[in-house]
Amino acid sequence: MLSTHSFQALRRGLRTKAAAAVCLAMAGLMALAALGQPSPADYDVKAGYLFNFGKFLRISGDAITPRRASFDICVLGHDYMGQVLDDLAANQSIDGRPVRILRVADAYAASECDIVFISPDEGDGIPLDLDAIGRADVLTVGDSPDFLKYGGMIQFVVKDNHVRFAVNLEAVNRTHLVLSSELLRVASSVTGRPPAEAQP
Amino acid sequence: MKLWNRHTIAGKLMRLNLQVTGTALVLAYLAFLAYDLYTLRKDMISSLATEAGIVGENCVTALVFDDQQAAEATLSALEHSPHIRWAVIERADGSVFARYTHTGQASPDLKTSLRPRQSMAYWTRGSNLLLGSRIVLQGRSLGAVYLLAETSELAHRAGQFGLLSALILVLCSIIAVVATSNFRLLVTRPLTELAGTAQVVSRERDYSIRAPLPRSRDELALLVQSFNEMLEQIQQRDHALEDSRNELEQRVRERTAELTEANKELEAFSYTVAHDLRGPLQHITNIAFMLEGGNSASLGAEAQALLGKLVEGTNGMSALIDDLLNLSRATSAPIRRTAIDLSVMAEAILDSLRADEPLRQSQLSVAMGAQAFADEGLMVVVLENLLRNAWKYTSKIEVAQIEFGYAENGEGTVYFVRDNGAGFNPRYADRLFRPFQRLHSPNEFPGTGIGLATALRIVARHGGRIWAEGRVDYGAAFYFTLPNDREA
Repeated sequence: MLSTHSFQALRRGLRTKAAAAVCLAMAGLMALAALGQPSPADYDVKAGYLFNFGKFLRISGDAITPRRASFDICVLGHDYMGQVLDDLAANQSIDGRPVRILRVADAYAASECDIVFISPDEGDGIPLDLDAIGRADVLTVGDSPDFLKYGGMIQFVVKDNHVRFAVNLEAVNRTHLVLSSELLRVASSVTGRPPAEAQP
Repeated sequence: MKLWNRHTIAGKLMRLNLQVTGTALVLAYLAFLAYDLYTLRKDMISSLATEAGIVGENCVTALVFDDQQAAEATLSALEHSPHIRWAVIERADGSVFARYTHTGQASPDLKTSLRPRQSMAYWTRGSNLLLGSRIVLQGRSLGAVYLLAETSELAHRAGQFGLLSALILVLCSIIAVVATSNFRLLVTRPLTELAGTAQVVSRERDYSIRAPLPRSRDELALLVQSFNEMLEQIQQRDHALEDSRNELEQRVRERTAELTEANKELEAFSYTVAHDLRGPLQHITNIAFMLEGGNSASLGAEAQALLGKLVEGTNGMSALIDDLLNLSRATSAPIRRTAIDLSVMAEAILDSLRADEPLRQSQLSVAMGAQAFADEGLMVVVLENLLRNAWKYTSKIEVAQIEFGYAENGEGTVYFVRDNGAGFNPRYADRLFRPFQRLHSPNEFPGTGIGLATALRIVARHGGRIWAEGRVDYGAAFYFTLPNDREA
């Protein structure tokens, strides 16, 4: 039988250990943030955004690409989002099409998707991937610092601990894709102008 | 209603007008106000829902991409809707995502929220209206927007309505007053005039008055016209009645004058005749007397018998003349009333009658103390006529009973003369007092037939009454009254 005193001592010991663990974790996070590395929590938010971009995306009437039966959201490179993205898309449909989450191995496969997230792990390969995708009607999304400069369409940025995104309309306008002006309204920055006929 | 009875027709109409218009106006005001407030509230809710919808739609991406700044920027556009006091955008989990407060307003305090599956709802918060609207993207709820709007507009609208209604009420009252005065001119005034005319006619019985005809040609004009026609007819009848009455009076006056004249002439004539006959008659009497007295021996028996008849005739004629003169005097002589004792008078007359025929057996009684206030000379004539008649008509009775008496009854003193003589048939009692009317032949009882007529006239001139009772062979009784005018 444990005495009250010894129980409290035990509890105090446990609490000390928990506090130490929390401190360690916070220190790790702060170190990650200082390095400019996105945290795992950010990837949950990014997964949500990625899924939601589809709702503000359409293809202009003069596109010749045949309409696919499913709405495919692909991840190229290392998948940081993991199960979160699958959970979000489960039993969901966009534009009347069921949403599929695909992990693709190369840019050619990616050009068959509706939205592709190019993992920062691709590194120097990102410009090559973007070139490979070319003018295919695929919304390219990334979170590496020069993603837009390389010709990507949407780049996640972290501002005041909030995940935001910047839009490169010039890249979008090279395809038949049209981004809703509402989406542009909440973008942290937009480069280029939307085409006149693309205005909703 | 009792209070109403005292008002004139015009007043009643004005009150009625005012009541009807007032009630209609108040009811209309209430109905319009209720309808207006209802529609205004509905419009307000609908416009608020629209605003909430627009705000929600504009906040979809902000919610999806967790951009509070964008949401607040959207909300700040509500600045242009001053009636919205505050707005709140809620996340799907119920936490506040963005808020907006109109300058000078208290910070939002959301106590209510939409139930799951509810897309829109509103609540009344005092004088304010809170509306919540769900924000949905492709069938998924992202959150909700709540707007609190003030409804002072409603109260303002009610006040304006009230002011307008009061203005209309005043206007209607003025119209009612004007309309009533018009009505008074058209209906009430002719009616009042008609009533006034009817009153004057009924009070003064002047049927020459006419009610003024109203200008309008309605039932009222017909009424006034009928009334005037009725007056016309009454007036005509009145005239005819008066004319015939005047004619009748005139005729009576004429007849009376004629009769009076004829009567006077007759009296004068009879007096003259009676008076003038006296002289010649006296001559005849004197000659007969001289013949009888001086030369009776030289006359034959036949001549003497004729002479006797002559004397008898002249005596009768003399009596007739006396009676006629009495009658004439009774008619025309002025009455000089004095206090007299009829008992004494009657006794004296009876004494003289008895002295004339001392051989007759008679029982004469006179009740003493029959006082009267009358003309002495005329009353002597009356009593003499009555007592002499009694004496005459008892002449064939063995023992004559003649009584003068008096008694009191309801109309004063009734004097009477009663006898046990020949009496008369009561059927002809009224004929007794007519001149020259006799119930007995002169052979039975001599007489002129003027005595009772004279008595009647004298008693009548004293204001009294005379009448007779009797039966054949059972005597007669004559009653008369003399109203005692001494006190008068």
